[in-house]
Amino acid sequence: MTISPNEAGAMLADVDAVVARVKQSRIYAQAGAIVSLWGVVIVAGNVLAMAAPRWAGAGWLAFDALGAAATFVMLRGGPSGKSRFSLRFLAAFALFFGFGLIWSEGLGRFGPRELEAFWPTLFLFGYTLAGLWFGAAFAALGLGLTGLIVAGYFWSGEWFNLWLAVVNGGGFVLCGLWMRRA
Amino acid sequence: MNAPDETIHQPVRLRIMAALTALCASEEGLDFAKLKSLTGATDGNLGAHIDHLARAGYVEVAKAFVARRPRTTVKASPSGRAAFERHVAFLREIIAQR
Repeated sequence: MTISPNEAGAMLADVDAVVARVKQSRIYAQAGAIVSLWGVVIVAGNVLAMAAPRWAGAGWLAFDALGAAATFVMLRGGPSGKSRFSLRFLAAFALFFGFGLIWSEGLGRFGPRELEAFWPTLFLFGYTLAGLWFGAAFAALGLGLTGLIVAGYFWSGEWFNLWLAVVNGGGFVLCGLWMRRA
Repeated sequence: MNAPDETIHQPVRLRIMAALTALCASEEGLDFAKLKSLTGATDGNLGAHIDHLARAGYVEVAKAFVARRPRTTVKASPSGRAAFERHVAFLREIIAQR
């Protein structure tokens, strides 16, 4: 069997392309379940905010804590078993949450509607950044939903929580399902 | 110098082995539909190449029913992983000699 250097180079490029696709697919498969989970968290938080506005703050804290804990467990149990990645996720989540608290409770003078737009767009910014390393689907999710939330902030009127539950929560669930099949 | 592996050298089988060895040995493998999308092969063509690799002992094929639908999962065997690594090393040596 005679193989020229050009043929060998083309075969190795083929191998690299397939390996890259498999790795991307594994990242999406694992992240898809987590993205869908957060979609459910978002729907639950916004439904609670609509049904019992007094409990919205405490409810969001509880839902977010549950979501973060479940995400941590799912990352540790993933096929790659990279516990350092799951710890980095927790650190990133804490940093975003801390940054959000500084602005929502301290520096920013946000009303309830601004807060409802601020928190999801803050975390969607994280998804957009993640897209630079882990695949375009994360960036598409972050940018697309941020645009829809901003649109809802201006035009959804008194139905903003419903808008967030359907568009933001539903968007997460659908994107998660798509990622699992990609 | 490593020698070429006649079984893995065929382009579709090279892609199949590349995809399967990209997974950790502890993972369950890839299903038929995923391999089809990764290799760009037709059902019949892919099935024939998987059979060829299985006869060489390079892959293990598991068939099961999931939600009442048949599901074929293919996984690289330890000897398949070693053969693929040798073949890739052989290709790299060719390039290095250029």
